[in-house]
Amino acid sequence: MFDFALTGLFQVLMPNHFLVLFIGVFMGIVFGALPGLTATMGLALLVPFTFTMSPTAGLIMLAGIYVGAMYGDAIPAILINTPGTPAAIATTFDGFPLAQKGMAQHGLVAAAVASSFGSLVANIVLAAAAPPLAEISLKFGPPEYFWLGIFGLTIISTLSSGSPIKGFLAGSIGMILSAVGMAELGGDIRLTFGFPELQGGIELIVALIGFFCLPEILSSVIGQRRTAYAEKIVKPSLGVLREVITSLFKRPVLMLRSAAIGTVVGFAPGAGGNIASMVSYNEACRWDKHPEEFGKGTIKGVAASEAANSAMAPGSLIPLLTLGIPGSPPAAVILGALMLHGMRPGAELFTDYADITYSFIMALLVAAFLVTIIGSFGSFVFSRIINIPSRYLAPAIVFMTVLGSYAIRNNMLDVWIMFIFGIIGYVSNKLKFHPAPIVLGLILGPFVEEGLVQSMLAGKAAGGTFTYMVYRPISGVLILLCLMSLLWPIFAALRAKPKKAGVVNKSASEGKEGRDESR
Amino acid sequence: MSQDSETPSARRLNADLIVGIVSLGLAALVYFSTRELSKLGGVFVDYILVGLTALALITTAKGFIKPERVRFFESVIERNNVLVGICILLLYLIFLPLAGFLPASYAFYFCFNLYLADERFTTRNILISVFLTAAVVTAFYFIFHHFLEVPLPEGKWFE
Repeated sequence: MFDFALTGLFQVLMPNHFLVLFIGVFMGIVFGALPGLTATMGLALLVPFTFTMSPTAGLIMLAGIYVGAMYGDAIPAILINTPGTPAAIATTFDGFPLAQKGMAQHGLVAAAVASSFGSLVANIVLAAAAPPLAEISLKFGPPEYFWLGIFGLTIISTLSSGSPIKGFLAGSIGMILSAVGMAELGGDIRLTFGFPELQGGIELIVALIGFFCLPEILSSVIGQRRTAYAEKIVKPSLGVLREVITSLFKRPVLMLRSAAIGTVVGFAPGAGGNIASMVSYNEACRWDKHPEEFGKGTIKGVAASEAANSAMAPGSLIPLLTLGIPGSPPAAVILGALMLHGMRPGAELFTDYADITYSFIMALLVAAFLVTIIGSFGSFVFSRIINIPSRYLAPAIVFMTVLGSYAIRNNMLDVWIMFIFGIIGYVSNKLKFHPAPIVLGLILGPFVEEGLVQSMLAGKAAGGTFTYMVYRPISGVLILLCLMSLLWPIFAALRAKPKKAGVVNKSASEGKEGRDESR
Repeated sequence: MSQDSETPSARRLNADLIVGIVSLGLAALVYFSTRELSKLGGVFVDYILVGLTALALITTAKGFIKPERVRFFESVIERNNVLVGICILLLYLIFLPLAGFLPASYAFYFCFNLYLADERFTTRNILISVFLTAAVVTAFYFIFHHFLEVPLPEGKWFE
């Protein structure tokens, strides 16, 4: 295996292949950064270009696009509160507040470094342990997906520390929105109100643009007439690179945990980068010594989200390369590209086509390094975008939101949905009813529903739904994690009380001593 | 009553009550729209509806007992700005399928750019808006329509 990996690395570093990889990474970043264009779309559009190339060069380019897009989506998430792809939703929670504080470059560099780290860890796992991990991925059945979805929903308690009731209410509204369209099981047409275009459901990216991007423009640029998009002017410098990189490498646990979560979520077929980034963000917030910093602009939040969603990409290739089961929509496009080049997933990929397969894996690895370089130095240019006066920037952003919403399915109804969600997002922000849990419910609703309904059907046949859903090893672990996640805020509050009391007592006694001395 | 208390800036809304009642309305709408579903198609919706209704009732009750009051607009100027901004976007979306992508986008971009400028109708501002409109809209049109081959809205008026 090591020989093949080394040969693969040499293949990638050949000038023509390296150039193809660089172009792929660059195009991936562009696709990820433009709201409405996703990694899947980028891969699908560029697969035909790889036909004329050799299988090695073609797959190297696709690897570059995939890895580049997983970073690119963080750029608009940080700068304009609009995730380029749904996988960057958790990046907005801290990335945009960072940009507002004039620290957009910090966010962008943290995203680039964390993306590369996540990708690197997941690639090492992919290269070293793909076959045994693929077997575990097959153990993910409907109950596990149900509990994974529920675990993801517990992040609401983190997202809405102000009012958990309102947070869960918003999550329920999101899950109702996720039910719009044709039911996966049963085939019923639900809540389409006579619009046939809604049978495919509400497009996630349309909801993201509506709930996150438009309210910000309506509120700050149009409503308050702020002359610049950020509250403080960004001044990029080389010192920021050093500061952020040092700061992140002083947090190996955060980085490794986020990469591990991304890899595990990635190799569970169907669970995407959005779930990976949400779960990772939640865990980062829970285990941090200063959870109060999250949501107000910290590079830890950006790193947790980005390391996980970038680790998800190679993670999703584990079941693809070994079993032919794509772990994510972009992986499904790569499966198509493999088949077109006459390669069938399975054992023969690691024997007959080992040279090409390992070149592909090594390309993912090298692309991660390219992302660090392009992302870190690109941050000097990207971060200045929000210094552009909002008079010039806002019309371009609104124009892109309309274009991006339309481009997903080529219909005007999506644009209208984006507009309506934008107004709802603006009103709900004003009412302190934050829309992030609505989007979370929209993302996780289909997972929870499919897991629930399939478990009910299989459970009936197996003798009992409850037994079938609960008494399984992976389910047990996930249930435990759900309980921990829900009860954590109570535990954290109890833990904080004695500390607070200690501080109060200490300051009171110091005050008393001070008063005594002054006498 | 003082004059100040009559301005939008002084009015405070009961956020919990509004959120609770709107959520109850949504729950009722979903309930009456999903009674014909099969068991498989309706089970998830029914479970969520129970949770949604319970949480909406709690929020409504909180609105009566211990409401969270918020100020919606800071000033009349902010309210007017937002309403005009929404109207410009609304008109763009209405005219997009009628006039087609390019004419509607040129008009929207020009108007929106000019609306956000401090001194609107100076020659300099108008020229800047014209230049930016032509550059940005045309660039995006070429990228999406010609390079990525994404079909863009065609107008009924100019077909």
